[in-house]
Amino acid sequence: MSRAIMGRPWRILAAFAVLLLASPGVNGGVAVRTVKRIGPPVQRPARSLRFEGPSVRRRGPRYSADRVLVRFRPEITAAYAEGLLLSYGFPSVRRIPAIGVYSVRTAPGVSVVETLAMLRRNGDIEAARPDYRARIADVPNDTYFQRYQYSLQNRGGTLDLGGGLTFAMTAGADIKAVAAWDSAKGAADVVIAVLDTGVDMMHPDLAAKIVSSGYDFANDDDDAVDDHWHGTLVAGIAAASTGNGAGIAGVAWNCRILPVKVVDENGDGYYSWIIDGIIWATDQGADVINLSLGGEVPDPFLEDACQYAQDHGVVIAAASGNDAGGVLYPAAYDDTVLAAAASDYNDAIASFSNFGPEVDVAAPGVWILGPVPLSYVGAGQLPYVFGTGTSAAAPQVAGLAAIIRSAKPGLTAEEIMMIIRYTADDINRATLPGRDDHAGYGRINMQRALVPYILD
Amino acid sequence: MGDRSGWRRSICILAVLALLASGAPAAEPNVRSIAVGLSTEHFSRSVVWPGDEAASKILSHIVSARVDIGLAGGIVFRLDAGLSLGDFSGLTFDGLPISLELDGDPIGGFALGAEVAAPLKKVGAFEIGAAGRFVYSFGMSKSWPLEGFAVEGEAAGQPSAMELSAGPRVAFRSSGRIVPYAEVRASLFWARFRILETLGDLGGEETKSVRGDLAVSIALGADVRVTDRISVKAKAGIMPAAGGAGAIISIGAMYGF
Repeated sequence: MSRAIMGRPWRILAAFAVLLLASPGVNGGVAVRTVKRIGPPVQRPARSLRFEGPSVRRRGPRYSADRVLVRFRPEITAAYAEGLLLSYGFPSVRRIPAIGVYSVRTAPGVSVVETLAMLRRNGDIEAARPDYRARIADVPNDTYFQRYQYSLQNRGGTLDLGGGLTFAMTAGADIKAVAAWDSAKGAADVVIAVLDTGVDMMHPDLAAKIVSSGYDFANDDDDAVDDHWHGTLVAGIAAASTGNGAGIAGVAWNCRILPVKVVDENGDGYYSWIIDGIIWATDQGADVINLSLGGEVPDPFLEDACQYAQDHGVVIAAASGNDAGGVLYPAAYDDTVLAAAASDYNDAIASFSNFGPEVDVAAPGVWILGPVPLSYVGAGQLPYVFGTGTSAAAPQVAGLAAIIRSAKPGLTAEEIMMIIRYTADDINRATLPGRDDHAGYGRINMQRALVPYILD
Repeated sequence: MGDRSGWRRSICILAVLALLASGAPAAEPNVRSIAVGLSTEHFSRSVVWPGDEAASKILSHIVSARVDIGLAGGIVFRLDAGLSLGDFSGLTFDGLPISLELDGDPIGGFALGAEVAAPLKKVGAFEIGAAGRFVYSFGMSKSWPLEGFAVEGEAAGQPSAMELSAGPRVAFRSSGRIVPYAEVRASLFWARFRILETLGDLGGEETKSVRGDLAVSIALGADVRVTDRISVKAKAGIMPAAGGAGAIISIGAMYGF
């Protein structure tokens, strides 16, 4: 399947060109329409579908209970070192010659802590450390994960999109999803509302993740099907079916999606639709709202809607915009919305990414693979495209928010926003140390946000 | 429910201790002997903290000054006070905004203890008795900087632990200077670790507690009279548990008056 993608470079390029405009432009919110009434709740509310608790993996002991690793100072001979170790009464001593380290089994009844304390008192010993445990990481088996989804795990090398389109990547320029998934993958009862052009609910990488048919505020009906492509891509980046052996991996492995259509088939929407969508999704029990869209005009009613969501514990992530200008609304509502800038495969901030004091964090937003409706790519084509823009960055922030909400249901929306900000990697610290207007606090780091910090 | 049964067990143990005191022959208040000394004790115990699936180990080292008071009827009452080091490695706090896991140097603190041992019956050279012990240790507050975040942060924690144990002891009193003994003890254990986290504008507090964890230990010991005034007391035992055996090792040197 990956060959099929590579074999259609022009298709991909065309998709890229379309996606580069990223946010379906909301026309500044100036064309006011009559506020639409929220339709009857014919769908099952998101909150009614709970069947799993938070999927937090409890960790066992971090190191072996009866083994330590020891290295002697360079001037100490191997014979002396081994004799010294045996004199401690260790039942087994094994040398790893290539690096001059000894694996030592502790004496019966003596703990690792005591053994290390004893060894560290010896001046001949350079270092004595626990024999830490390792485990197989939860790497998703989705078809395109290893090859294309550098944003989740970037091992460096080349991102080869086919047709001669190649990019050298920097290892580690990613959101550390794999390391984080080892601790938490999110819960199925945590819902990300994707307020966009709708979602292709039959897409094989999304069908199992859809909570309900949502609501379509553009056409005032209860079927938020995607008649564009943007919303499907955004939903997939946030929470595509992961570990299903097909397609891509989503950030929020187990969380689910509530489609809300607030932008029409042409990529246009109105603030009234967005306001309705935010309030409707909040009332349906969404935990996180993603808004990969924005307008240039501030609006107090839109701000009130964001405040309403936050007051109900909903975290909102929004795209900052793609025209290298000021941060769009609602992303610019600093207190209630996390504004996401776009970084790339080298942890550089994308040139198109909007900037300003409202930018909170960044996430990879260049060549991000995501699902699109089959009707968009046409029969016989793979329903995935590479997207570029802050639209692709925001759902990664939303996905992280959803996993945090799953693992720590007692936190407020403001606290989750702070965690996401404070745990980010300051990717442009060389030029702009600390929080800045381009990357905000930095590129999100799921590992730091979700894996316990070690107090040593 | 768990708490209630824990308290019931505690009351039973306390009753045993009370029986030891009240049932001692003649319960005379006369102090027959006093010995002072130093002792060191190592203690490890597997516990499952609330919310955890796996057991983790609590290690404790206590160095204490000790007074043994010999009363009428062979009852020995012991008091000790000293310094403790508690190791809570592996304890995870998932209720904080940023989860924390302890994996470092032990935390210093203080320990107070009391023990009573009373002979109940003699069968030839064997003396059957009972002993009960109470130890309370409270750690000093320790703080750790939280590094690598976009803002400055700190975590501060303070542990405390308490153990109440009692059980029968069989000593072999030959004419020699060494009195070996074996004992079985039922032990109730309480531990508490409170931690505060501050990271920029974020803050959180979480307390993990183990309440009345019950385990049984088996130990062998010996009281060695080195001279008429100097004696050495040593004991080693194990405490089998599902998450890994615990251990008790203690040694003390006493000077009698």
